[in-house]
Amino acid sequence: MRKDELTEILDRSLRGEPDFRLPADFAQKVTISVVRRERWRTDLHDYFFLTAILVGLIAAASGTYYLVDKELLVRALSFCETNWVPVAFLFFTLNFVLFADKVLLGLLFNRWKVN
Amino acid sequence: MNDTELISQILDGNMNAFTFLVNRYQKLVVHISGRLIQRQDELEDVCQEVFIKVYQNLGKYRNECKLSTWIATIAYNSSVNYLRKFRKFDEVDPDDSISLRNLVDFRMENYETIDLKHYIREQIELLPIQYRTVVTLFHLEEFSYQEVEQITGMAEGTVKSYLFRAKALLREKLKHIVDEDSLKLVKEISNEKG
Repeated sequence: MRKDELTEILDRSLRGEPDFRLPADFAQKVTISVVRRERWRTDLHDYFFLTAILVGLIAAASGTYYLVDKELLVRALSFCETNWVPVAFLFFTLNFVLFADKVLLGLLFNRWKVN
Repeated sequence: MNDTELISQILDGNMNAFTFLVNRYQKLVVHISGRLIQRQDELEDVCQEVFIKVYQNLGKYRNECKLSTWIATIAYNSSVNYLRKFRKFDEVDPDDSISLRNLVDFRMENYETIDLKHYIREQIELLPIQYRTVVTLFHLEEFSYQEVEQITGMAEGTVKSYLFRAKALLREKLKHIVDEDSLKLVKEISNEKG
């Protein structure tokens, strides 16, 4: 076999496309996946942002009461200490409602819509 | 629409522009990832991850190289990471004698029925991973040596050496199977089917 002819066949084959394929709707699938991920990230960001604002507001109110009416704050802290189980339950419930509203429901609706 | 306009539209939140980008570069990504991981069932997930990374990092793209080179780099790194995570990735210098033995024997009696180009493509898939990578980037995607270096992180000399050795391996395999008389017939079959 002549070397130049072999090289020609070889070069042509090396430029040939491999047999791997993607589905025809691949681009749409990727876009949907990206949109879903971005929405999830935004929702999560919103949730943490709102939680931080609420915690900040509670801290600011506590600080103000510490200066204005220290007794009230001490009584409030003492109440929380003696009733820590219902207080913690209330805190987690409210936080979960916020999480569900901002993140979970969005995620579920999104999946439901896609499927 | 050129790449710069496309990127600016995507960064402005136009998801149709992103779909357009995926359509434009999906062949490049499937060729690179396909040749590396060689599993059709895993390919879609890997390619999807590549484009998600492209989207997430598009704001960091600084026009220092072509968009295709940048996307190819992401595809290469993602595929290598995938192989490292889930399967064995052989990073040692490929042994050409073993590779040559691994290449499937081509039988003389199959001449008339086998498409030679298809046969060579099958042999490319049996080459060591580094050879397959540089062959795909240089010959199929037509990147320059510098671009292949940029994508894979291999030195230019290594890229040239791997290309030479990959071709030498394939040529070595082919020269035993095609003689002077049957070349004409092989070329005809090749041309008809190609």
